[in-house]
Amino acid sequence: MTRLRTFPGGAHPDECKELAEKRAVKRIPAPETIRVALCQHLGAPSTPVVKKGDKVTRGQEIGSQNGFISLPTHSPVNGTVAGLEEAPLPHRRSGPVVVINTESEEGGPAFEPWPDFESRTRAELIERIKLAGVCGMGGASFPTYVKLSPPPGKKIDTLLLNGAECEPYLTADHRLMIERTEDVASGMRILARALCVDDPAVGIEDNKPDAIEAFGKAGIRVEVLRVKYPQGAEKQLIKAVTGREVPVGGLPLDIGVVVQNVGTAAAVALAVRDGEPSLRRIVTVSGGGVREPGNFDAAVGTPFSALIAEAGGYGDDVARLLSGGPMMGLAQFTDAVPVTKGTSGIVALTSKEARRLTEGPCIKCARCVDACPMKLVPCLIAVNSEHEKWAAADELGALNCMACGTCSFVCPSDRFLVHYIKRAQDMIRASKRSKEA
Amino acid sequence: MAEARTFQLSMSPHFGSPQSTRRVMYDVVIALLPALAGAVWLFGFGGALLPVLLSVAAAVAAEFVCLRLMGRSTSAALDGSAIVTGILLAYNVPPGVPWWLPVLGSVFAIVVGKQAFGGLGSNLVNPALLGRAFLMASFPVLMTAGWSAPFEWRNPSAGFGTSGMPAAQVSTLPEADAVTGATPLRAWKDSFAMDDHEGAAVRENLSTPGTYMNLLTGRRGGCIGETSIVLLLLGALYLFVRKVLEWRIPLAYLGAVALFGWILGGPGFLEGDALFSVLTGGAVLGGFFMATDMVTSPVTRRGRIIFGIGAGLITIIIRRWGGYPEGCSYSILLMNLATPLIDRFTRPRMLGEVRKHA
Ligand code: SF4
Ligand code: SF4
Repeated sequence: MTRLRTFPGGAHPDECKELAEKRAVKRIPAPETIRVALCQHLGAPSTPVVKKGDKVTRGQEIGSQNGFISLPTHSPVNGTVAGLEEAPLPHRRSGPVVVINTESEEGGPAFEPWPDFESRTRAELIERIKLAGVCGMGGASFPTYVKLSPPPGKKIDTLLLNGAECEPYLTADHRLMIERTEDVASGMRILARALCVDDPAVGIEDNKPDAIEAFGKAGIRVEVLRVKYPQGAEKQLIKAVTGREVPVGGLPLDIGVVVQNVGTAAAVALAVRDGEPSLRRIVTVSGGGVREPGNFDAAVGTPFSALIAEAGGYGDDVARLLSGGPMMGLAQFTDAVPVTKGTSGIVALTSKEARRLTEGPCIKCARCVDACPMKLVPCLIAVNSEHEKWAAADELGALNCMACGTCSFVCPSDRFLVHYIKRAQDMIRASKRSKEA
Repeated sequence: MAEARTFQLSMSPHFGSPQSTRRVMYDVVIALLPALAGAVWLFGFGGALLPVLLSVAAAVAAEFVCLRLMGRSTSAALDGSAIVTGILLAYNVPPGVPWWLPVLGSVFAIVVGKQAFGGLGSNLVNPALLGRAFLMASFPVLMTAGWSAPFEWRNPSAGFGTSGMPAAQVSTLPEADAVTGATPLRAWKDSFAMDDHEGAAVRENLSTPGTYMNLLTGRRGGCIGETSIVLLLLGALYLFVRKVLEWRIPLAYLGAVALFGWILGGPGFLEGDALFSVLTGGAVLGGFFMATDMVTSPVTRRGRIIFGIGAGLITIIIRRWGGYPEGCSYSILLMNLATPLIDRFTRPRMLGEVRKHA
């Protein structure tokens, strides 16, 4: 095997993948009531095009695209619209949702399947990916079609699929890669065609030998990555595989690279090859706080509570409920929130697993500095933020923090570094906006 | 469907490494213990153990009282940092000083050097070194006359309480097989005041394999904790293994001491003794345990190297031309003061950052 690729900095949280990595994906039917968020993607929420009492069919558009950075939203079930409301969501406090009473999940493809996607034009492929509402399934939920439409003058030469899945506990991408290798591979070919890129590759951490083998067999170039957090962060993946650095304040496409999550590639395959919009996703339900961790193929809109029930229910001790993994995931106030296209996992942590919430003074041990994958000086940014010295925090590059949490993770004083840095980011951005205005 | 359940909110990350400040501090305490055993072997219970214990007790008590008075949680007095300060302070005084000296030094270190700045993490300079500097300034005679030779405690009749011993007599004493004299560094320094021939003879005597061996094993005059080089290295190794110690500062510091010791430390240019420079005085103790004090050393990688080199250079300059034979602790104190500035000017290149060249 070729040498392991990696990036500078990072840390080694317990992987905790053994809880769910061997559990085959179980498809669960959509529950009676689902709440489909209209803002599952980054950007402007879809504009609702249904109203209370409307009959909807599986794959029907219930929210239309609203601007360039936006996507349409589809109903994952046949049923009746029970209402439109503002509801708590996993990735933001609340947002517009369409409540649907499920009747069934049968139905053919919403679009014409294109098994012959090789003969479709780039524009056709990108249009289909947009209409199918495909957004990044790895976390940020950025509309995929936008990433495939680089502004004129930007030449893309590299397509990387992200199969690193470096968050502890999460195994959804891992299961996807070994159970649905063909979907990912087709999606990769479609994406490569849409971008006119030859020789795309998938990056996988070397704790997933079965996935590496599966792609090898499928004739796909695999870049084996050393297990290290945050290997799955876009800039770190690019650095590890290509050696290129995304310029500060820039995007991967500035250096000719597009990264797509493996889950996104599979969604692209469904959209183009099978004519299926983005209606379901694989969600890992894990953590010491659930009885039977596993991986589930669930309709978007399924409440977290239903998935927890599928995973045998809560254990005796649940200190924190997370959407996503423990490093970057968001703590949830309620388990009534629905699965969105970006929900890679639901993790229930016991009080032993969860991080202490008492912070000590910074002893300037520099562990955060040595670990920061963006090569920032987190402890100093945090101190400036605490003292409300926003300009100093800005000078230290606070805006380049991607909130990966590595610094807080390694801090022996359990400092809330991400919190301080994010606060500085908010203040810096606000002051820049007011200066511009 | 079951009732929705609610949970505590918190900021990411939700995972923490098992490391804690307490663990870091106690690791340092553990790493300092072998040298304490060495000190007891060399200087006896009264000469080494008692001052260390008193110093630690005084540091912890001072910390406790300060925290109490400021209405903070007093459990922090046992977080290990005050213990480290107490040990380091005692390690930096001569073995023969009266018992109250390390106690006073520790109290000063904690109250003025640490708590006055705001406690753990807020102090600008290493508290133990500030305590030592205070003792040096207030009790210069006691602090430089308190030398007792290794093994003197087992054999008091030999009576080489050597503070007044002329440097010319410095030699490897057969009965104790030790380098004595106030300290080898004092002898080295004094040699420059002699006529060329005599001075050269003294230095030659100090630059022998036999002397190096004695220096390594601690058989020489020196402060309580600084002489047992091998045991200090053992402690440092432990800290490396525990990932508490990072290599940059010790390597830069000791490298600079060796290099500048060779370049500047002798009678003429490039006539110094690199090995002697590293093995004498407080260089090893300072390089591994005091320059590396996290709170008062730079957090950036380049900063740590600059810090180490700067302290090494100043050490040698003080040794050669300063008023004291040893410059280790002052050099670190000076670099402590420069640390915020160093951090500021050594911000690492961010991922993807293109540095503008002026
Ligand atoms: S890891 Fe924590 S204690 Fe260490 S320098 Fe960073 S913020 Fe300070
Ligand atoms: S959260 Fe920000 S500052 Fe902390 S390690 Fe990640 S990028 Fe660096």
